[in-house]
Formats: sequence, C-alpha cells, structure tokens
Amino acid sequence: MLKREKPKERFGYDPQKVLRKLEELGKEILEEVRQGKNPYLDIPTRGLNNVYFDEVKRVIRMGDKLSRRYFLNVAHARKFMQTLLIAAYVKRLVSEGKHASLREAYYANKHTIPGTKENTFEDQSESDPVIEDLERMLGVLREEMHLTADRRGYVYGDITIRDGEDEFNTSKLGMGGWAVPGTVEHIQFVDINVDYALVVETAAMADRLIEEKFPKKERALIIATQGQASRGVRRLIHRLHYEEGLPIIVFTDGDPYGWYIYSTIKQGSINLAYLSEKLATPEAKFVGMTMDDIKKYGLENVTEKLKGIPPNKKGGPTGDYKRIIEEMNYPWFQTKEWQRQLKLALEWGVRIEQQALANKSLEFVAKKYLPEKIANEELLP
Amino acid sequence: MAKAKELFKEFKIQSVSEFFRRNAAMLGYTGKIRSLTTVVHEAVTNSLDACEEAGILPYVRVEIEELGREHYKIIVEDNGPGIPEKFITHVFGKMLAGTKAHRNIQSRGQQGIGISGAVMFAQITSGKATRVITSTGGDEIIEAWVKIDVEKNEGKIVKKLKHPNPTGWRGTRIELEVKNVKYVRSKQGVFWYLKLTAIANPHAHIELIEPDGKLIVFPRSSEEIPKPPVEMKPHPKGVMTDDVYRMAKKTRKNTVKRFLISEFSRISGKKIDELIKYIAAIRLINSEEDKRIKDELSERLAKGEVDLILRSYGRRAKKIIKEVQKLMEKPPEKLSWHEAEEIVEAFKYMKFLAPPTHGLRPIGEENIVKGLTGILKPEFVTAVTRPPKVYRGGIPFQVEVGLAYGGELESSFNLLRYANRVPLLFDAGACVTTMAARSVDWKRYKVEDLDRAPLTLLINVISVHVPYTSTGKQSIANEDEIYDEIRLAIMEAARRLQTYLSGKHRRLYQVRRKKTLQKYVPEIARALSILTGEPEEKIKEYFISLIEKKFETVEEALEQPVEAEADVEA
Repeated sequence: MLKREKPKERFGYDPQKVLRKLEELGKEILEEVRQGKNPYLDIPTRGLNNVYFDEVKRVIRMGDKLSRRYFLNVAHARKFMQTLLIAAYVKRLVSEGKHASLREAYYANKHTIPGTKENTFEDQSESDPVIEDLERMLGVLREEMHLTADRRGYVYGDITIRDGEDEFNTSKLGMGGWAVPGTVEHIQFVDINVDYALVVETAAMADRLIEEKFPKKERALIIATQGQASRGVRRLIHRLHYEEGLPIIVFTDGDPYGWYIYSTIKQGSINLAYLSEKLATPEAKFVGMTMDDIKKYGLENVTEKLKGIPPNKKGGPTGDYKRIIEEMNYPWFQTKEWQRQLKLALEWGVRIEQQALANKSLEFVAKKYLPEKIANEELLP
Repeated sequence: MAKAKELFKEFKIQSVSEFFRRNAAMLGYTGKIRSLTTVVHEAVTNSLDACEEAGILPYVRVEIEELGREHYKIIVEDNGPGIPEKFITHVFGKMLAGTKAHRNIQSRGQQGIGISGAVMFAQITSGKATRVITSTGGDEIIEAWVKIDVEKNEGKIVKKLKHPNPTGWRGTRIELEVKNVKYVRSKQGVFWYLKLTAIANPHAHIELIEPDGKLIVFPRSSEEIPKPPVEMKPHPKGVMTDDVYRMAKKTRKNTVKRFLISEFSRISGKKIDELIKYIAAIRLINSEEDKRIKDELSERLAKGEVDLILRSYGRRAKKIIKEVQKLMEKPPEKLSWHEAEEIVEAFKYMKFLAPPTHGLRPIGEENIVKGLTGILKPEFVTAVTRPPKVYRGGIPFQVEVGLAYGGELESSFNLLRYANRVPLLFDAGACVTTMAARSVDWKRYKVEDLDRAPLTLLINVISVHVPYTSTGKQSIANEDEIYDEIRLAIMEAARRLQTYLSGKHRRLYQVRRKKTLQKYVPEIARALSILTGEPEEKIKEYFISLIEKKFETVEEALEQPVEAEADVEA
C-alpha cells in the first residue's frame, strides 16, 4: 500500500530572501556605474539549447549559458530598463505583502517615457519575458515575487491548509474542492490525512471520483489539473511530495497530450527548465490510461483514432503520431514500459480517454480500475 | 554650251545642299530639338575653343528668342579673342574643307563641319544670313552678315559695317535665325546641353536666356584654363587605309619607308623591316587558294610566326620580300590604295609600343569636382581619372568619372555622358557608358535603389578617335577595354561614396544611440533608487556621465563638417 514518506524539504517561503536578492542586484549595478563601467545583467539563456536532462536528479534543467544584457548597448538598453522597472515593482509588492497578476504587473509599469512617444512596455508580451528573466537571474520563483499567473486546478481531500488567516479542510468545502491559487508559496499544510495524491487530468473525472467518494475510501487527495498543470498546481504537487512525503500518482488520458502532462509534472518543462527543481516531481508515477488497459479491460470499442498521418504513410508522421515519436525520444521515457506503451499506440493508431472507463459503469473507475491498479502497484515509472 | 554651264552650276548648288541633307545625321541636324542644340553647340564650342587657345577665361552667353512657330533667333556672345576681319569668311564659311576632321587631335569639334554648318543650316531653313559682330579689342567693331556661297563652297560677306570701339570691347557675337526647330527644356535640349557643358568646363561662365526671358546662370567654378590639346602622330593600330592613303599623298617625305617612320608614332627602321616581312607573308597567304590553309596560316601569323611562314615558302618568299622592299623605297604619292590596304592589314598583325598619351586632355579630377559642385551643389562629390589605356590594340583613350550625391540633387539617377568633354545627349541606351553604369552592383556601395538615388554620374571618354556607334556621334560603341575602364572608374568612385555614406550612417547612428540611451536614464534611475534606496538624482548623474564618456570620441568626429571629408575624398 502507498503510504506517506518522510519529508525531504521544508516549508521555505521567506519574503526577506527575495527582497535581499533584489537589493543586491540594484547595488551591484549602481556600483558598476559609479565606477564608470558599463553595467550589465547576466540572464541565463532561454530555449532548448540551454536545457538538458539531469540523469541523476531526473529533471529537465537549465544549462549555464548566460546572455549578458548591457546598458550601453542600444539593442539591450530597453530590456535593461524594463528588467529594473519590474525588479523595483517586485520589491514594492513583496515588501507591502501584496500580490499582482502578470497583467496587473504589466499595467502597473506601463507608462510613456517622458519626452518620447515610447512606452516602457508596449504589450504584455514584453513584460512577461522580463519577469521570467528575473526568475532565472535571481533563482526566485515568480510566485515568490508575488506575481501570480492564471489559476487553474483544484484539490479535494482530507488535508487541512492554512492560507493567510484562513484554515480549512479541502474535503469540507463542497464537491468543488479548493481552487488552487496562482501562488502557493505561502500555503501551509496544517494536517495531512491522506496516503497519496492522485493527479487527474480532467475535471469531469475528478468530479466522478469525488462523487464516488473515492478520496475518503482510498485516503487519497484528488488534484485536478484541468489540462496541462498550472504552475501553482505543479508547485503544490512538488511541495506535497517533498514537504509532506505524499506519493504522487498521475491519471491522464491515454494519448500523447495526457502523457505530456505527466511528463511535465514529473520532469518539468523546457520553458520552465530553470524552475524544475521547484516545480518538477520526478518520483511521480503513472497509473493510466495505458494501451495495455485497452486489452485488459476490454475497451477496444471505446478507443478513438489517433489524428495525423502515421510514420509509414506518405507525408507522415504528423499530428499525434509525430508527438508520440517525439515522446519516445525523451530521455525519461527510455524505459521498457513506456517504450512499449508508445509503440503500441503507434501500432494500433488509437488513443483512450479516462472517461471511456464509463463504458463499463460509472463507478468502475472508482471501485475497480484505480483501487486495483494502485493496490497492485501497476504503475508506470 | 552656256546651257551646259548653267546646268553644271545648278548641279553644284544642289550638291552642297544635297550633301548637307544627306549628312544631316552626321552633322547633327536631325530633329527639331536636336538641330537647335547642334547650332548652339557649334557656336559655344567655337567660343570655348577660341578662349582656350587665347588663354582667356570664357564668358559665354546664349540667348534664344522665339520669333514664331518653330522659328528662333539664336544669339551666342563670348569674350573670346575676336575674329580679325579677313578671317571672318574663313571661320564661318569654310564648308566642306574640314579643318579638324583629319587632324589627329582630341577636339571638341569632332561633330563635323563646325560653325559653318550652323550658318548653312540657318541659311537653308530661314534664308537669312548670319550676323557676326566681333572685335579683337582694337579701335573698331565689325558687323558682318555672312552667307555660304554654295557655288564656290566658301563664306561670303553680304553686308559689312564698321563701328568705333570706344570701350575696347573684345569678343564675338553671332546671331543665327533658324526655322524648323523647337526649344524644349528636355534632356536633349539646349538647357541640358549647356548645363553639361558647364559641368565639364568649370573654367567657363555660361549664361542662357530662354525664349520666355528666364535667365539661367552656370557660374564659373575654376580659374584655371585647360591647356589646349596637342596634335599627335597617328598610331599604326589606329589608322585606316583611307588615312594612310591620304597622308601618303600629302607627305613631303620621298620614300614610303621614310613617310611611315616620320608620320606615324612608334614606327622605327627596325619596324619597317618587320613590316616588310609581314606584308610578304600576307601576300603569300593570300595566294593560297584553299580557305582552310589560308585561315590556318593567318592564325599562325597572328601568333607572330612570321619567319616560320616565310621559311616554309623558301625562294618564293625571298622574291616577294624583295618586291615589298622595293615598295618601301618608292615615292609615297605613288602608293596605291591596295598597297595602303596591305600596310594597314600588316599593322593589325604586328605589335607596337602603346601610343603616347600626352595628346589626351582629361578634364581632371579637381575640375570635375569643381564643375559638379558648382552646378549641382551636391553633398558629396568625387572624381576618378583613370590612366590612359588603348583599345583595339592601339587607339589611346582615357576614362574619367565624376560622382555627385545628395545635397540639392533630386532623387533620381542621372548619367552625364561626354566624349572629349562634349556632352552626348542622344542615344543614351546604346552607349557603353550607360551599359557600364548599369552593370555596377550599386547595392554593394550602399546605393539601394539606383533609379531613386540622388546620384549623378559623369563619364567622360577621351580619345583621338572615339568609337561612336553611328554617324550621329551621340553614343560610344561598346569596346571591351573602354567598358572595363569605365566600370573600374565608377567602382572606385562608388567605393568612396560608400565610405562616405557608411561614415554618415555611423554618425547619425551614434547620435541616435546616445539619445536612445539617454531617454531610459530617468526610468532606470527611479527603479534603482527604489531597489537601493540611493537618491534618484544622484543615480541619474552617474548614468549621464557614463553615456557622455562613452560618446566622447564620437562627438569629436561630429565636429568635423561633412564637406571636409568630401574634399579629402576628392
């Protein structure tokens, strides 16, 4: 049976740390200028060529390539200014204990530069990357800087959480559970009364499990990602695993998109490679859907055809097929089990949704499929 | 008998007009616009040449009066040396003798028969005599009406008046009345012609009064009078049978050999021995009947295997050499057309030293720069005079290119074509200058769109024998060597333009850079003040002094005026 493990990390939210880092940054630049030197910001390079898979820690990590942003370079000067603007804004936010959304941060810092027709930020697409740059530069999460993204995903189960002045049990908030906020840094776990967390791709499936009283019966915490997991959800999963020792089990559709959701939760993503250590949970395991489930549970009639052109056909591979082949090449899918699943998907040209299990019966997933698989540890790595 | 005489007279009159009509193209009297330009050209050329020879800085004033439909009076007045009374008929009347036509001299007047042609044109179209007012600066001013006596083929003064000259005026004013012409301010018209003439002759002050009374002045921009060209002996590679034949008739030397040595450049006694062998070889080759053998031998001859060819003919060759030697010793006036032909053919196979180039008179880089600057007022100007080269194996020529950019120039490409300083206004498309200018990859020199660039290119091709495409003498034939030289000259000028333009861009860019950086300073200062707690004003100062330091060197460069750099370039 799955049981809670010993915690590996401790609650580490410290607003003072962020403030110190920001002040340090400002002082360094000022000192350079005072000495008549061309001030610069060192920003770890974004993109695929500065990303690698750490085989030991088994997460996607950022390389050590830096790009240097100089003030006296006309091509850099604007970004240099923008970065400092956001840094100053973050300092105010954190010291005042307030949170702002990305869009609010954009509007708060957008104004016309005096004596010109130029705006400090023309578009949110200018401010968002600057915020990411700051994260990477300082090694501080956006959430720690009190900048929040759109919230998505919810939690249901017997755990008690303290969020600011509120304390509540997420199984006592109604069937809808507790919506995960953009920032979970400051959340504290008061009481954990579950054995593991089940991360579910679709809200419909999560709702089904809640209705079937799966969390209570199985002592599980349901985390609905509602598609690709948001940063808040990923950070929550990470913290639940490392701070509270909860085993993480992921339940997605049996298709390349679902498997990619799993991959992101487990190994991190290329875009946020610099945050993998705070967002990824390499110990997460995968319960389904798998290709083997189709045979095992007789779901052949409820599969869907893969989209796109198979690799052996002219013009292929495209669509789902292409995606599957890409996933086959991920270092973390280089296991016998995963290669087998991916190969079968290619071979059969089908996908299987979580909700296809309703073909058996509505309660099938909660009463039989999940409890059996988890109890027998029929899990993919 | 008397009747026959009348008839003959009639025939002669007709023949002179006929000659004029038939050779209208060659003489430049085709088309209504062009005919007017030609009349002005002949008169202005006369003025400039006269001033040049007399060492006077020319002042030329052209006035066009509209008398009626396609009916104009053209007045050209100069401050030249004036024409002595007895030479008036000579200057304005010598119709077909062609004073310059056969002189081996780089002259403006290659156009044909000069001012007498203009007098003739006026006479044919309006029936009026040409009025000439001239003084050499002495006590009297002569006013004469000149016509061409087609019967005698010479000038005739139909009326003459003498006036006192109390102010000591010196110069010549001629008035021609012409019909069937049209004044248009196009690129083929008088205005454009004078503009181009002024550019190529910066030492001249030229004025134009247009039919509507508008005065246009092309001021003098150089005080230096160009040296008149000198006559040069023809180079063997540059002559035709006709030249050799005609020169042989006129020479005072008593043998063909001496005639060739003394009247041609680069021919020595040794060369005559070589010439004899070549003529002999040509005769032997021509005696072959099989065309294949003929071609093969000619090819070998071109490779210089003259001795081998002669040896292969043995005794026959020796006999023929003797004959040719005899030919060289006979009096030149006895030289037959066929023999002259043989000599010219042999010249083609032989090698000669390149001809002397002291006869070529380029405008000169300095004067081109002055001319372009004075008339066009560009922002950048440069000129390239290439060293003399030869084409067709022996005809010397020289190429000059001037390039003006920006300033008061309109945003369109203009090509100013000259042959021996004379503007070429017609047939631009067929001209080697146009082809060469178009063939240059202007993008490489920072000129993105040539046709919309504020760029004027002057090209002057100088030679004792400019290869025109047609008798109109308005476009230069595409000779490889000339084409290449023009391209090289253009590219050199264009490189200088490129240097100038990139310097200009760099300076503009630096100013823009500085401004870009400066505008961010207040924002950065505020942000850093929030981050560090230091006062905003202080941080601003740091940044501003940082920018100042960075652009110090740039500021120095900026203080140099653009003009100075252009001068250095030139």
